[in-house]
Amino acid sequence: MSVAKSEKDLHLPLSRVKTIMKSSPDVDAVGPEPLYLVTKVTEMFVTDLAKRAYKNIKGNMLEYKHIAEVVQEDDTLDFLREIVPRKITVREYKELMARKAARGDRSDESSEESSEAESSDGSSSGVEIIE
Amino acid sequence: MAEKLEDLNLPMSVVTRIVKESLPDGVAISKEARTGLAKAASVFVLYVTSAATNIVKNHKRKTLTGPDVLEAMKDIEFDRFVGPLTEALENYKQAVSARKSGAGKKKEEAEEIETIEED
Repeated sequence: MSVAKSEKDLHLPLSRVKTIMKSSPDVDAVGPEPLYLVTKVTEMFVTDLAKRAYKNIKGNMLEYKHIAEVVQEDDTLDFLREIVPRKITVREYKELMARKAARGDRSDESSEESSEAESSDGSSSGVEIIE
Repeated sequence: MAEKLEDLNLPMSVVTRIVKESLPDGVAISKEARTGLAKAASVFVLYVTSAATNIVKNHKRKTLTGPDVLEAMKDIEFDRFVGPLTEALENYKQAVSARKSGAGKKKEEAEEIETIEED
């Protein structure tokens, strides 16, 4: 056991946070203070995201879509849009594309019928298609 | 360094515990929601790290400091965390200095904080 663990108010393992931080090419060493702060703020972030997602729930179950909704609606969470994409069914996707076409939206090349279910098509718009 | 790919993700069990503590009792969290929140948390670590290292680079320094992390929160528009985070940092510093004055050997202590247990 480390000394740090015994009197800190953290849940997340510092060692793991440190490993993730060091996976960034610009980071060589991580001192105890920045490590503490990044760990702490990550916990605040999780709490905040969960509380906001909770506002979207109807029953008693927090589901993926509630989180995706928060992510898609908040521009400061833009960095998560490809990590937590809004998931839609193939049918919804087709309808979405049809509406886009009707509007004359040429933001991306229209995909062929056969390939439109590939998630790579949808991820660019924050959407992942599920069957 | 990361030897396995899992090492680059935060443990889902711990993230789920944090989520449960922030929600009213009795709220269930679907498996997919747990995975999503754990992934989001892991990516957030990198996002903050990269914002903080940008500040270090802009100041032509090499070492990442606590104030860099605080400043990074403003850059990525998470200003709302700066207040509570600053407060947490004060408590942390007090705990560290209390430990140092208690144990005398400052140098060894500092190293000990740096060495975090592997779980």
